[in-house]
Amino acid sequence: MKLSLLDKALQQMTELALAKDRTQWLVRARQLLHDADPDRLRGKLLDRTVRVPWLVAIPLSTMDGVFEAPDCPKNFTVVAADGSSIPPDRHSPARYYVINTGHAILTYGDQPDAALDSSAQLHFQSEDLYLDPLTGSFPVEGARLSAKMVVAELKALWEATERGEEPVVALSDGSLILWGLQNEHARVQQQLLGEFLRYLERFRGAGIPVASYISYPGARDVINSLRVWLCQGEAIDCGNCSASEVMDFCRALVGILDRQLFGFLRAGERSAVFESTSAILDQYGADRIQFFYMEVGGEVVRIEAPQWVMRNSEMLGLVQAVVYDQCRRSAIQPPYPPALQEAHEQAAISSTERQLVEGLVERALAREGIVYTRSAKDRSKRRRAV
Amino acid sequence: MRIGEIIESTSTHFVAEGFELNHPPALGSFVRVCVGEGCDLYGVVCYGETGSLDPGRRAVRRSTEESFDDQIYRESPQLEHVLRTEFTSLAVGVIERGEVLQCLPSQPPPLHFSVHGCSADETTLFTENLHYFRILLRASGLVPVEQLLAANIRQVHRGRGEDKDWLQRAAREAANLLKYDYDRLMTLLYAIEPTS
Repeated sequence: MKLSLLDKALQQMTELALAKDRTQWLVRARQLLHDADPDRLRGKLLDRTVRVPWLVAIPLSTMDGVFEAPDCPKNFTVVAADGSSIPPDRHSPARYYVINTGHAILTYGDQPDAALDSSAQLHFQSEDLYLDPLTGSFPVEGARLSAKMVVAELKALWEATERGEEPVVALSDGSLILWGLQNEHARVQQQLLGEFLRYLERFRGAGIPVASYISYPGARDVINSLRVWLCQGEAIDCGNCSASEVMDFCRALVGILDRQLFGFLRAGERSAVFESTSAILDQYGADRIQFFYMEVGGEVVRIEAPQWVMRNSEMLGLVQAVVYDQCRRSAIQPPYPPALQEAHEQAAISSTERQLVEGLVERALAREGIVYTRSAKDRSKRRRAV
Repeated sequence: MRIGEIIESTSTHFVAEGFELNHPPALGSFVRVCVGEGCDLYGVVCYGETGSLDPGRRAVRRSTEESFDDQIYRESPQLEHVLRTEFTSLAVGVIERGEVLQCLPSQPPPLHFSVHGCSADETTLFTENLHYFRILLRASGLVPVEQLLAANIRQVHRGRGEDKDWLQRAAREAANLLKYDYDRLMTLLYAIEPTS
């Protein structure tokens, strides 16, 4: 690649990132967050006649509320799980994928303890490879494999949680909103989401708060809600917008992220709770996901949890306290919860392990007299002859 | 008592992962590996190290004004699982059916076999003879050989119940072996001199 060709674009990109007027817009955005009436905004967002073309955050109480982290209990457990996969390789004669989940159970207080472990599974049966094995349709790859992994992570999280001493908080990495399944066939949604929701239901039944931690979130849900508040039109129709006095501000808001908007939070503080409008959540029932932003001591992160966690002040407080406590125990800056870090370390599949799995498959096939021949294209990339 | 498991094995030395974090056996102490029926390979601990289990993850500073030393381990219980203590032992001989042989073993000890700490009786039996000093003085490691031999003499002296005669014999043997290296000899003699 000729890197010199990127020079000019890199310079322009840096200038864009340094845009000084963004600070002014951010100040105005925070003022708008303060001024917006949450009840009227909620009404507007829930009004079915106003079609909102973006993902928005529905305010449940205040817009600009700030809540300090309560103290952690003396004795508590944090359980975290993460996953990693070796996706199916279409250049390989054998179709399979591997999902490796890792978990960490960290007990704090009078009797500190830790348990770290992982579990790998090779999926090769047709019912694993295709969500409709009879017709061989809906192969498990891409977004479906990601969703399958999220389900495996939640399963690992539940199983690890059962071994934790209460009070316990279960943490997963990434979003609990499986928006990747939104455009999938109903059958796919039913299978993957169904299993995911069954595990959320178990947490609900056991009364154990489960939450997910999103570092460096790229969401604009709250910003988009402010744009709706700003919009004077009956319908949100940016193509035909004539409200020139707010147009510049509205356009500037597009360049701001929620994590920047909530940059005024101090360490340990969280924002108010909002509800996501992701269409897939209509299928979550009692486990509908809500979220808040939180400053953990160097970064504003997004915490998602089912509504039954967010509505229970004790659980909500425990989640906030434990997340902040985890970040204070972090050995890195900006902080990251040690439980999630260790779960990730357990789940990660190194490149050596990937090659090892390929070798194991190759040998297993060879024992049955099956010659492992990869595609010509793949071999050309590996040999790179001139 | 089992104190570690061999994770690297050669003709001259073996590396073991210790079972207790931050507590490798004392420098210069004797360890043994049971390599067959009535046959134990003896080693002298020549190096200890504690670090990250994963070479890609370095340990970083964790202490604060309020929390340091043991408190760090109580506040981050996962450290017991992501750190490890290793120790290296020089192979110095074999005891086979009660017969002591002070020389390099014919085979390196098997990988993953247990390393045991030596009892006072086992140490006493092996150290009746001091030929193994020659093996220690030819070691090539990070610990200077005179310091290694001094540490060994101190450990054995203590293990033999402060046996003065043995200490004098060990000092004479060391003086004989290091007679052409005054600086090293004096370093060793200062290091083994009883404090009382």
